[in-house]
Amino acid sequence: MTVDLTQFHDAFFEESFEALDSMEAALLKLDIGSPEPELINTIFRVAHSIKGGSATFGFSEIASFTHSLETLLDELRSGTMPVTVAVSDLLLKSVDVMRAMLRAVQAKQPIDSQRVSDLQFDLEVAIARKSEPAPPPAAASAAPAGSGGSAAAPAAALGHWRIRFHPYRELLARGNDPLRMLRELAELGELQVRLDAQMLPPLHEISPQDCYLAWTLELPGKVPEEAIRQVFEWAEGDCDLTIERLPAEQEAPAASAAPEPAAAATPPPTRAPEPQTAHQPSSAPAPAPAAAVPPASRLDAPGKSEPALSALGDSGSIRVSVEKIDELMNTVGELVITQAMLSQLGSHFDGPDAEKLRAGLAQLERNMRELQESVMRVRMLPISFVFSRFPRMVRDLTQRLGKQIELKLTGEQTELDKTVLEKIGDPLVHLVRNCIDHGIEYPEARIAAGKPAEGTVHLDACHRGGNIAVEVSDDGGGLDSERILAKARARGLIGPNDTLTEAQIHELIFQPGFSTAEKTTDLSGRGVGMDVVRRNVKELGGKVEVRSEPGRGSRFTITLPLTLAIVDGQSVAVGTETYIVPLISIVESMQLKPSGVTRLSGRGEVLSFRGDYLPIIRLHELFGVEPRSRALHEGLVVIAEGDGRRVGLFVDDLLGQQQVVIKSLEANYGHIDGVSGATILGDGSVALILDVPGLIRAASMRAAA
Amino acid sequence: MKNRKQQTPARKRAQKRPTKRAPARSRSDAAPSALALAAECTLAQADALQAELARRLDEPQRVIVDVSALQRIDTAGLQLLAAFVQDRRTAGRAVEWRGRAAALDAAAGLLGLRGMLELAGEVGQ
Repeated sequence: MTVDLTQFHDAFFEESFEALDSMEAALLKLDIGSPEPELINTIFRVAHSIKGGSATFGFSEIASFTHSLETLLDELRSGTMPVTVAVSDLLLKSVDVMRAMLRAVQAKQPIDSQRVSDLQFDLEVAIARKSEPAPPPAAASAAPAGSGGSAAAPAAALGHWRIRFHPYRELLARGNDPLRMLRELAELGELQVRLDAQMLPPLHEISPQDCYLAWTLELPGKVPEEAIRQVFEWAEGDCDLTIERLPAEQEAPAASAAPEPAAAATPPPTRAPEPQTAHQPSSAPAPAPAAAVPPASRLDAPGKSEPALSALGDSGSIRVSVEKIDELMNTVGELVITQAMLSQLGSHFDGPDAEKLRAGLAQLERNMRELQESVMRVRMLPISFVFSRFPRMVRDLTQRLGKQIELKLTGEQTELDKTVLEKIGDPLVHLVRNCIDHGIEYPEARIAAGKPAEGTVHLDACHRGGNIAVEVSDDGGGLDSERILAKARARGLIGPNDTLTEAQIHELIFQPGFSTAEKTTDLSGRGVGMDVVRRNVKELGGKVEVRSEPGRGSRFTITLPLTLAIVDGQSVAVGTETYIVPLISIVESMQLKPSGVTRLSGRGEVLSFRGDYLPIIRLHELFGVEPRSRALHEGLVVIAEGDGRRVGLFVDDLLGQQQVVIKSLEANYGHIDGVSGATILGDGSVALILDVPGLIRAASMRAAA
Repeated sequence: MKNRKQQTPARKRAQKRPTKRAPARSRSDAAPSALALAAECTLAQADALQAELARRLDEPQRVIVDVSALQRIDTAGLQLLAAFVQDRRTAGRAVEWRGRAAALDAAAGLLGLRGMLELAGEVGQ
């Protein structure tokens, strides 16, 4: 039977990338000198599964490289080689190289062979240097058997498959013979068999066509899972089958405790008191060692292996393509619109059943909301997906800069929309780099300032109202107001005599073209300034703010909407049109007295609002709509805020607050200044969703023109 | 996850098939009771084998099972032998193996039944 393996490629790549992430995380947690065995095992498992997968799929370069890596890791695991900084660096580089190779293979691009073979050489040199009789990489899997006293575990280095095969009674009658299956398994690799005969009744109670036996089997980890599954293919539905990978670490006790009688592992059936495997033939001619019994500690303590296994995935989840979820989301969006339409219709309905109809519609609305929230949750991912890249980055940067920095991550489980998540990565990277490069001082300076030599960069995420707040803070020197002012004056961003509050000075760093970096390092000062951070965050419908205290550090706060698919909006009427103003940008709404409006020459109309004068934007003028009234005191003014500026939006009426599903205007029509998207209302009409910062820009351009 | 369990009550002798071939011949003369297994001890002969073994179960003398003619055995056959040996042993009665059958050796090894069948020392001699 030939199986088209390419269908598994995507899953392999995805799993491998995830596995590499966990390998990297484990490497970063690794204590130099006294590494935790479980971490080394995690790292080893990743290398091993990538090796296995790439060999299966014929990615020979990856397989060969991971093989060398595995050999090195095996030395670490067995303790013959200490974990040093150099080794840890080598391993981190290996992660990068493996990632690059996988990406190349995935994109069907050539692999950077030079880089790979260089590092592979380094790996092999490291192996050779530490373990005198340098094992040639090709003999790696056999090496441990020869080197240690663990002759009983020849493939110990590779981990093991544990297969629990529990046939149902009718398995035999359906034409399946466990004997045949076990024979096939034995052909795949050295098979360890443990029989569970507890269910075997006395002879006269046996129904000869029924199967009463069950087995726990073990195979070397190098056997592909697919091959194992194929053996059981025909028995599917006639047995309970679990196939799991045992971490290699648990091999060792197995080998040493192998002679233990089976009685230790299985509570003996009452009718068979004596140990069952007391006399094991040492030279059994059988193709597999007969009932090489693993010790109780191994089979009867699943609790121990569980956490380790969870690292490799069966977490009760399934992979679904983003496309499918978006499709679902879209359909739910349409449903919301239909439901809104029905509700609107229902409210005008008269007749004997009108009440029932409205009750049904109310129920529908509740269910819709729940459905919508559930679908939204499907798109939510913990922010740890983004945070996880920082430990490595901070480590690399601190090494390069010679600073001492501890990275603190909190709120990693805070969930947000995948789209937001993907776009928040770069701004965060920039902020963290900034903190490390400019924020945290060098150890000497810190000690001189009475602070601990090690600085702290803290990344935190939490939900705040309907938003998510991500904070990047450091305990460094804080923003240097003097330098910022000087720079801003030099760049002409402010006049030479302007006096600014501290907060206003801090705002300056978000201005385009502003960077205080004296020289361009390859870290923060690479021409991408804080203005890009602000722009990116703004594109996500969020905002970024900074608070800083000299000598105490600075804190950047990014506030983001939970999702980009739905917005809480206030619908307003202008003439016959309806517009949606996002609630997040509304300060308040008010009715104007004719006396509250002033006309300023050259600046249009302004209104007095809490001691401030705000420009008034007449939406009907901006969008060319015929209003119900042009007199300001006959309509309403919505005070909205964007980019730190406030304006009064003149509208005819407020209609109501509702959640609206955002439909992209760019995708369906084209970009319009001052409009961030559109939505479909309950009556089927289209309403534009206003982009307040854009409106302010558009209005000021009109005013200037 | 499958929720069928092994513990469900056994179907009682669901398909009783007529035996095509006698699974065992008995020799009633010798003092230790001897039981010669037929060439095939598979699912098809399981009913007959069970009956044959059941007859020897309460034999006070040790039972010698002659496997020299055995050519083929499967899980069903081995399972019956295992139950037989286990029952005899629980009752404190011995079972001995005579002759040698590669098929039995291999199958018992694969299924992890060697210990239970006490095959280890005897077959091989």
